[in-house]
Amino acid sequence: MDREPEPGASWPGLRRVFRLPANQRRVHDEVSDELWFHIQERVEELMDKGLSREQAEAEVRKRFGDVTRVAYDLERIDERAVRERGRAERLSAFGREVRHAARMLLRTPAFSVIALITLALGIGATTAIFTVLDAVVLRPLPYPESDRLVSVMHPVSGAGVEAGKWGTSVAGYFYFRRENRTLSDLGVYQTGRVSVAGDGEAERVRAAYVTSSLLTTLRARPAVGRLITPEDDRPGVARVVVLGYDFWARRYGSDPGVVSRMIEVEGRPMQVVGVAAGGLNLPRPGAFASNADLAGFGVDLWFPLRLDPDARAINEHTYTGVGRLKPGVTPEAAERDLAQLTARLPELFPNAYSPSFMREYNFGMSVIPLRDEVLGNNVARALWILFGAVGLVLLIACANVSNLFLVRMEARRHEAAIRAALGAGRGQIATHYLAESLLLALVAGALGLALAQAATRALLAVAPTNIPRLSEVHLGWTAGGFAALISLVAGVAFGLFPLLRGVDTRPLREGSHGLTPSRPQRVVRNGLVISQVALALVLLAAAGLMVRSFARLRDVRPGLDPRGVLVFEVAAPVARYRTYDDVTAFQRQLHARLGALPGVQSVGATTHLPLQGFTGCAVVFVEGRWPLRPGEVPPCVSTPRVTPGFFRTLGIQVRGRAPDWSDIDAGTGAVVVTRALAERLWPGEDAIGKGINSNGGTVSNYYRVVGVVDELRAGGLEKPPTEAVFYPVRALPKTWLWEPARIMTVAVRTNLTRPAALTRAIRRAVTDLEPRVALANVRTMEEVVERSMARASFLMLLLGTAAGMALVLSAVGIYGVISYIVGQRRAEIGIRMALGARVSQVGRLVVLQSLRLAVIGVALGLIGALAGTRALRALLFEVSPTDPVVLVIVSAVLVFLAALASYAPARRAARVDPVEALRAQ
Amino acid sequence: MPPTTPANDVDLLRGTLDLLVLKTLSWGPMHGLGVLRSIEQATKDRLQIEEGALYPALHRMEQRGWLDATWGYTEKNRKAKFYRLTPVGRRQLAAEVTRWSRYTEVVGMVLAARGT
Repeated sequence: MDREPEPGASWPGLRRVFRLPANQRRVHDEVSDELWFHIQERVEELMDKGLSREQAEAEVRKRFGDVTRVAYDLERIDERAVRERGRAERLSAFGREVRHAARMLLRTPAFSVIALITLALGIGATTAIFTVLDAVVLRPLPYPESDRLVSVMHPVSGAGVEAGKWGTSVAGYFYFRRENRTLSDLGVYQTGRVSVAGDGEAERVRAAYVTSSLLTTLRARPAVGRLITPEDDRPGVARVVVLGYDFWARRYGSDPGVVSRMIEVEGRPMQVVGVAAGGLNLPRPGAFASNADLAGFGVDLWFPLRLDPDARAINEHTYTGVGRLKPGVTPEAAERDLAQLTARLPELFPNAYSPSFMREYNFGMSVIPLRDEVLGNNVARALWILFGAVGLVLLIACANVSNLFLVRMEARRHEAAIRAALGAGRGQIATHYLAESLLLALVAGALGLALAQAATRALLAVAPTNIPRLSEVHLGWTAGGFAALISLVAGVAFGLFPLLRGVDTRPLREGSHGLTPSRPQRVVRNGLVISQVALALVLLAAAGLMVRSFARLRDVRPGLDPRGVLVFEVAAPVARYRTYDDVTAFQRQLHARLGALPGVQSVGATTHLPLQGFTGCAVVFVEGRWPLRPGEVPPCVSTPRVTPGFFRTLGIQVRGRAPDWSDIDAGTGAVVVTRALAERLWPGEDAIGKGINSNGGTVSNYYRVVGVVDELRAGGLEKPPTEAVFYPVRALPKTWLWEPARIMTVAVRTNLTRPAALTRAIRRAVTDLEPRVALANVRTMEEVVERSMARASFLMLLLGTAAGMALVLSAVGIYGVISYIVGQRRAEIGIRMALGARVSQVGRLVVLQSLRLAVIGVALGLIGALAGTRALRALLFEVSPTDPVVLVIVSAVLVFLAALASYAPARRAARVDPVEALRAQ
Repeated sequence: MPPTTPANDVDLLRGTLDLLVLKTLSWGPMHGLGVLRSIEQATKDRLQIEEGALYPALHRMEQRGWLDATWGYTEKNRKAKFYRLTPVGRRQLAAEVTRWSRYTEVVGMVLAARGT
């Protein structure tokens, strides 16, 4: 600042030294200058009029006012102006950058479209699976403080019983509830189906039988009226019912007046006391609950369970237990607490629990977070695996796009150099690249989100209905946020990745005459292709294993013939059908009527339908082995009750003979057992003619084995052959086969191509027989078989899709890089050809280059697959996660693909005209 | 604001000051002191302006885009900040002039009215 010194020294504020940022400093200086000029001029003006300097200065000061204050005000005004201008400039600079990036991307449409589609596919697939993962696995259950909810079950295993988890018993529930010190509440429930009639069409609805404590444990709330209270939940009091919210809306039009009315359930009137709040569902019933297929786990009707605390303890474990941990208590601590109580069962209830039972069945206690119980190990595992798979697809897509960006940057070295020469900093050039990659990634993210929307819908359409919580899946803010996050990360990564080596601004020196790109560039590019191939191999291996596992599963003979069979549930109202005889008579009439329908070849019914709900077990005793030896524990096996005609209708082959109605009439007690059970009970002997029952030797009657089912996998295709005894619907005198089988699944074998066409006729026949009977869950047996494989096929389908995407993306990646290399090496190829290389040699050179990359990638991928597919083990059926056939095939596929992808570039290389190629340099 | 003069005086001046400055600058670009001198000349020194108040007015109008400012040199070769009316400022002047004449007209009507 060159300004005459003096007399300004006497003007405070004009010469103050400011330690402020540059622009504020400038503001200060300008304000000082402006005011300084004014005062100086004025003082001289007055001095010209004859005043002394002191007088003049005093006069000016008087006229001007407080200089410091004015200077301060001016600076505030100007600084604000500077700030606003800066903001506007930055905004327009940002807009300019975006416009520039868009223009650059549009100038290379092929690059942009390929990169966009690749990325959008990756982001879309990842987002779709993340949406499902989030809703099914990550989000807490929809109950207040659900992280404190635990399932309370008894794990069993051993020689005499299929490993699994049993529920609690009645006595156990009261005992645990009283004695535990780790739960603030404990409740139990069962599920099933009931018929509602009287006020409209009869229908079968989903029912939950719960203790009032279950509702307090879940902290359920009523929407109208009240829920089930402890007063409702005692044996002997009048049955009341609480409506599920959706059922209330559907059947009663959300009429609050329905509360305190009577509705007819199973032919008996019951009082409605309330409506549960919307969204109140039950956790998935445990494996041994009465009905395992509560689709969606929605409950239409809630009933009090009315357990009797004084009932004699029996070893029957059919109640799913749910507890709420006291604050600060871990599930492990609660498990230790309840396990100690469980260990005392034999001493408290010696008639129900023998020490040998505890030992032989490994009867224990498991307390795990309710969410883990609901999900089951395999669903969470499968979804995580899928998420991993699409994550790999995204990585492959990113590798592809990175490669594209690398090539693009290479092509733009000139541009970068010119910019640098014109004074652009490295930072500015980097910003340009970053703007382009970010813009591309964000557009891809938006596209990906739209894709994810469609994919999620498709996913839900093909998903098996027995994946829990699937109804909670929807694309929401979480998914949007997730997609935005990965696009941002990807965008920044692409922008910065090629810059790792620094912005290349050398070409003005180097010129464009290099024959091959710089070495680090080539290493990076090859590395990308290799990792793509490796990732694709891992994915392909996983998909291949699932396909092979699924094929194995399909090859399993379930031991029945589902073709042409229609199945449905029929429940005889308890009010009219009280005894074994009533139920038997009902089924017999029903069989006769259905058998008379045109197209029907045979009819049968069962309490347990194979491949669906073949759950629960009961002990069996053998004639002539009573009393049991000390410490001997009878096995616990499936004990369905069936009508004559069951075996023929389901196409289950019976060696010996199947019982018929004359056996029922005569009370011969003819039963069929499976070979697996026969081999356990009578090893090395013929089972036919042997006696068996489920009541022990204190009663004299035994059922007589008349037939053996050779092969049956009723519990699921992946399970070992079923051990079962098929009892008749009508129990022998002096034996007891539980409650009469009022609810049965009826099967009808037809010679029709579309058995479902019979539905209407069947419904009419049933209603004619008994108007209060509701038909439920009509489906073909083939659907039942399909559904038992649904989870495996779902996983196979999705893994296959991911692997297919990986395959295509890798092929595109290899093709792109090889093409590029061929383009770069035109000169070299030209020289080679000029020196006499043959066309085939040049082609081979290119293909070999591609194959070399592929083989390295495959080798790395095999290592990854050997390590990674171990996670699949639990989901595979009779296939080792390191199955050599699968690994060999997928390796071959990838190598072949690499050869294929380099074929076109190789031909292009072979057509290089040496003269032209060299001249182009 | 500098609390050197009674507030009502400043208020009275401020709206008017903008008008005077705009009008003065409509004759051509000048620096702050030039504006003051022009007003003094035009009013034959009958209007006493508190000089310090002029500059915030100038800067505020510059920020609003009514004025443009550049640094230049006076005849005595001194560096000074010169202000110039922008097209926006010119429109603003026209509007202010209209408002002012309407105001004086109305006030004049009241003053001229005879009580009945």
